[in-house]
Amino acid sequence: MMINWPQVLFNSAITGSLYLIGAVGLTLTYGLSKFPNFAHAEFITLGAFIGYLVAEQLGLGWPLALLIAFLVSGTVGVLCYRGIFQPLAKRGSSIIHLMVASIALGFILRHSIGAIWTWKPVYFSAAWTSFDVGSMRISSLWLWLIVTAISLSFAIHFLLMKTRIGKAIRASASNPELALASGINVNRVILITWFIGTGLAAIAGIFRGADTQIWPMTGWDIILPIFAVAILGGIGNFYGAIAAAFIIGLAENVGVVGLIALGLSTTYRIGIAFLILIITLIVKPEGLAMLFRRF
Amino acid sequence: MDPILVAENINAGYGEAIIVQGVSMQVSEGEIVAIIGPNGSGKSTLIKSFLGFAKLFDGKIFYQGKNISGIASDRAVSLGIGYVPQIDNVFSNLTIAENLDMGAYHQRGKASIKARIAEMYDMFPELEVRKKGLAGNLSGGERQMLAVARALMAQPKLLFLDEPLASLSPKPATVMLSKMENIRQSGIAIVIVEQNVQKVLSISNRGYALANGTCVLEGDASSLFDGDNARQRYLGLDSHDPISD
Repeated sequence: MMINWPQVLFNSAITGSLYLIGAVGLTLTYGLSKFPNFAHAEFITLGAFIGYLVAEQLGLGWPLALLIAFLVSGTVGVLCYRGIFQPLAKRGSSIIHLMVASIALGFILRHSIGAIWTWKPVYFSAAWTSFDVGSMRISSLWLWLIVTAISLSFAIHFLLMKTRIGKAIRASASNPELALASGINVNRVILITWFIGTGLAAIAGIFRGADTQIWPMTGWDIILPIFAVAILGGIGNFYGAIAAAFIIGLAENVGVVGLIALGLSTTYRIGIAFLILIITLIVKPEGLAMLFRRF
Repeated sequence: MDPILVAENINAGYGEAIIVQGVSMQVSEGEIVAIIGPNGSGKSTLIKSFLGFAKLFDGKIFYQGKNISGIASDRAVSLGIGYVPQIDNVFSNLTIAENLDMGAYHQRGKASIKARIAEMYDMFPELEVRKKGLAGNLSGGERQMLAVARALMAQPKLLFLDEPLASLSPKPATVMLSKMENIRQSGIAIVIVEQNVQKVLSISNRGYALANGTCVLEGDASSLFDGDNARQRYLGLDSHDPISD
């Protein structure tokens, strides 16, 4: 079997970029709220549908679709935190209560999306240019995905390292009591983080929807590898998530080569992320966090 | 001297548990007040109840004559009240410079914050050498200095220090005590919760001794344990033992 390694590496970058955009929000909100938000999947889905509404149903084009999906999903995320998770946290709910509440929220959002739009898959009609570079098949959508992931990574790095609100996010994630003692309004910081985190999920949703299909399970389809990225990166750790996204992207795509060589279905590729997640939890539950201590 | 802080009949604790009962105290401007007592006597809970970190069941707290009972924790600093917790008192994943910046979070004006950071480096030269290093990599003494410097960034008028000498070896502890003297001389009132009784009383104006959540002794630091067998009753020391940790 001839293996097109340049294509495998390029596909890894595509997969890693999608997982990165999806996982950053999950890991940032975990860092502040200290529970895994399973409804993150539905913010990915919501983004895909808002993107579909803006780009396809209203015909306003891609840039506006990305912007409006980010804003709407971020706003819904803030409202959900404010209405559900913050009151629960104030009453002293444990991580389990908050996690189960997020699963319930995910169900409500998913079925609401299905009721508002449709349960049948819909598609973006934009025709992406495809071309060959050497042995690689490249689509302009994939290039946009990679460029977006890199740009967002730099933007979040700048936010976290160079701005006061970004430093306050890192400070509040690391030591909320000391943040309060320093005069940081930790609740406001959490809301800003939820806005950014759930907004970024929407961006991932649009790219996933454009690359495959849009339906109420769009987010759920990729939430497992996104959790694997967040956990391998050291949940709550932005820089760890960048490294983990590309490690898991590479593992999945090399794994696909292996699956084909073994004559197995490539639908098992999801199992590779799951395997990495389990191994990480057993061997090194803190993930790559120790390598990236500044978040 | 006018009192900067007056606490009346404080009952405080966590959840449903009342740990501090009926404690009253006051702090005058520019003085150092020690709160001493054995482990579990409610010292930390008392100061945390002033700052909204512990539940205030009953009692009133006045700061500069204004009732601040039940204040939100993030509001205290903007009133001029600084707080250094006993443990986890730095942002370990932030650099030293970033820690100081966070100390002045509610303040505006880059230039004035920068000038304040420079003042902190003058006061604690050890910090400037490692300003780009992560706070988590500091030694115990350096970490304690950074914790105090972070609180001073907000230009407090009243500073609460929770066991600032705990886990410090004798030399850094002596350095820290002299820094506290310097801070007091700059006009900031300091309340120190400490188990290292002898050392803290040596720099304090007055002291309060707590046992089982109540105040059992109060007075001038120099004569707090004079007169009776209080040392043995409240601190478990023989009357001839030196007062130390």
